[in-house]
Amino acid sequence: MTGGLIIAFSASGAKAAKEGPVIIMDQAEGLVIADPTKCVGCRRCELACTEFNDGKASPTIARIKISRNLNFGVNGIPTGQRGGGAWGNGLVIQDICNQCPHPVPCANACPNDAIVVRPPTNARVVDSKRCSGCKMCRRACPWEMMSFDSGTNKATKCFLCDGSPKCVEACPSGALTYAAWRDLTGKIPPRVAPTAIVAPEKAQTCNECHKK
Amino acid sequence: MAKHGGWAGKVLRVDLSTGKISTEDTLEKYRDYLGGTGIGYKVIWDEVQAGVKSFDPANKIVYGVGPLAGTGAPCNGRTAITTLWPTCWPKALVASGHMGGQFAAELKYAGYDAIIIEGRADRPVWLSVWDEKVEIKDARQLWGQGIRRTTIEINQQMGPEASVAAIGQAGENLAPMSVVMNSYSHSAGGVGGVMGSKNLKAIGVRGTGSVRIAGNKEEWEKLIKLHLSLLGANNQHVVPSNPQPWAEHYNAGSRWMASAGRRWGAANPSIDTGACEPHNLNRIAYRTNNAAYFLGDKAWQHTVRGNGCTACPIRCHTMLKVPAVSAKYGIPELGQNTCVGLLFGRAFFKSFPDGPKGQTAIEACMVGMYLADDLGVWDNYGQLQRDFQALYYNGIFKRKVAEKEFNSYSWNKYEQGDPTFLFELLPRIANKEGELATALGLGTGHLLERWGIPEQEWLENHDLLYWKLGHPKHHSNEDAGQCGVIINTQYNRDAQCHSHSNFTRNGLPIEVQKRLAAELWGSPDAVDAVAAFTPMNAHKAKMAKWSLLRKELHDCLSLCNWMGPWVASPLKEREYRGDDSIESLLYSLATGDKKSRQELDTIAERIFLLHRALTIRDMGAKDMRTKHDTIPDWVFTDPKDKAAFSKGTIRMDKEDIKLAMDMFYEEMAWDKETGSPTKATYRRLGLGTVADELAKRGLLP
Repeated sequence: MTGGLIIAFSASGAKAAKEGPVIIMDQAEGLVIADPTKCVGCRRCELACTEFNDGKASPTIARIKISRNLNFGVNGIPTGQRGGGAWGNGLVIQDICNQCPHPVPCANACPNDAIVVRPPTNARVVDSKRCSGCKMCRRACPWEMMSFDSGTNKATKCFLCDGSPKCVEACPSGALTYAAWRDLTGKIPPRVAPTAIVAPEKAQTCNECHKK
Repeated sequence: MAKHGGWAGKVLRVDLSTGKISTEDTLEKYRDYLGGTGIGYKVIWDEVQAGVKSFDPANKIVYGVGPLAGTGAPCNGRTAITTLWPTCWPKALVASGHMGGQFAAELKYAGYDAIIIEGRADRPVWLSVWDEKVEIKDARQLWGQGIRRTTIEINQQMGPEASVAAIGQAGENLAPMSVVMNSYSHSAGGVGGVMGSKNLKAIGVRGTGSVRIAGNKEEWEKLIKLHLSLLGANNQHVVPSNPQPWAEHYNAGSRWMASAGRRWGAANPSIDTGACEPHNLNRIAYRTNNAAYFLGDKAWQHTVRGNGCTACPIRCHTMLKVPAVSAKYGIPELGQNTCVGLLFGRAFFKSFPDGPKGQTAIEACMVGMYLADDLGVWDNYGQLQRDFQALYYNGIFKRKVAEKEFNSYSWNKYEQGDPTFLFELLPRIANKEGELATALGLGTGHLLERWGIPEQEWLENHDLLYWKLGHPKHHSNEDAGQCGVIINTQYNRDAQCHSHSNFTRNGLPIEVQKRLAAELWGSPDAVDAVAAFTPMNAHKAKMAKWSLLRKELHDCLSLCNWMGPWVASPLKEREYRGDDSIESLLYSLATGDKKSRQELDTIAERIFLLHRALTIRDMGAKDMRTKHDTIPDWVFTDPKDKAAFSKGTIRMDKEDIKLAMDMFYEEMAWDKETGSPTKATYRRLGLGTVADELAKRGLLP
């Protein structure tokens, strides 16, 4: 690591020059793990996420996503009664944030460096003061886990409720667990191909660190 | 974002005759009626003249939800659909059908508390509600398709999250015995044909907005957790069905089925439902398995999981996987529903080769759900199947139907309990093919009239459970003695009230129930042990009034009366008390409009009174006591001729029930002689103009 070019918002709060781009390097401490065989499709997790954090019931901005897989599964309507969800085999896949390891796609795509690491969990969180509502982060996440709150005009994502996730507490079938972080990014198939690009100055930072 | 918490703030009005789409301010126009059936009754009172028939363009359909729909309040998934009821005989009167699923929440997220459908489209259409974008769309391609095909095609246009309420062929063909259905298995009976009469195939709703909680979010979280802690299993049964390490009591009749060794056998890998200790809120969803409750132990091996409505941890729909049905009947191996929807196919048959809880019975359920929930046939709370058995085994079909048609059914299969018989019967009901199927699709009252069978025969028959106006009993004397009887006199279809039976059947010992009853209704004598009934007293009338008002309140707030109220709980440390104020606590915090339990009950009374006024106006009669609030003769008989009030009978005593009605009318401050509300009562509850209108028509007592 060459000093000065990289600002890592880490658990220890280390930061360097103001003008440099934010590149998240610290691993998250925790992660929500979901078991689809136990999911009963009640969406209490989505509601706990938004009511207890935002004061409104709003599955659209929930940071755990059930609704989109509820009826037809992750492969959607074309599978009809042969896919997942209530119309298919019954399995409801709970989409959760992987709290990606470095490089963090949503954070790297943000032109305002608004996605930062926050202790104590080191979750990747949206700093709403910096977020301009441009939605670039949504284009960056292969798992479509970035939400956009049209009420506040800000992006939002799973911040692990600072270590005691409301969704886990709310699940009536014990399908969710808060566990030590592990890298699921290679295990969970992406929902979309990301279309966000990394800004040139950040790309340069990548090259600085990963010198041949 | 809405100005108020809870409500979305707008009511959507769609005139299918003119294509006009408009919105109204919910609170400006309907604040005094909360939502749900409240908006429904208000619209019908204001806008639909007496004498209009169900299938007239002048009839309206009101899809209503309430301030709690779409929130995290437990059990808020129900949509109330109010209209002039097509199976209400001899004349259509106001009633409501109720469906669970995801529709109610999605409607709120789209920004609406209700949809009022009026007029008649000149060709088949469906309604697309996508946030503020509302369109009437061509449905000619969908017409003639089942509910499942229709739903999938609309989801293709609106995305997988959209909730689609659709009718099947039964509704299109104006069979009164038809449903509208959403979320695969959640139906509202009776409404399908009214939708069909308006050429409205479906309503698709997609909402990306939110429902604001007005109160402090920490307080809301605390309240939600309190409510969750008071929940039992389905029907608010608060003790387990067999002994559990944590449980002081158990009751074999309880729907709390979970137990170590009872597994969701078709989950992969299978899941043990386990002890479900009540303080563990992460196991609530395992408590209920209605397939196992109704179909016996065999159902466990077929259970994939529980399913149900938005935000409800009680999964009263059970998803079953029965691989054998795929090869045997050519239907999907998965099926799901609850209660009479689950039993739809089985209930036609008197017996099965391997008994009532064998494999064939389960297969009959699978075939029944596959057909009925796609064709959109309603069963009128099981009356269709009870009628069918009686009409066949008493030789009435044979007498009333031409020989050629009669012989076109494989009656040998029927008698043998062969589920393939359902493939002959149910499509014909939906398509009105032939006399037999057409008559069955009319509903009991109109069927009896068509075939010249005196209603009296049905009123006297203890097995048919028929009550009045073409509809059966729904939790009557068999569950709550006189209180159940009173409740079953009040509506224009089956009563659909569970406030009383959710208490009397909660599984607690009668001593505990009596202790709680004393706190709730002023005396332990308000409740009796089931089938050990005692004579009428004023506290039973209080309980009846409370039951009816809470039912109506739930239907307006969008709380599930199949689960609430929550006045008993599984918690020993609370001495099994629930909380009689949970509705008002939720309402106050969600909306920001602080109302006490009594204040909210008063609003519920206003809404219930408006239902009464509508019934009086549309019947054109004030003598409700003898013309409307009638009780079938079978209630006063016993198959073994046991005397009323003796142990083991649900038989009621005629004089005692007269007293019961007297006490109920008195409790309601209605005129005892006619059973009609008085002018003073209308005025007290803010319905002075309603009283004036009835006075003009000579319909005040």
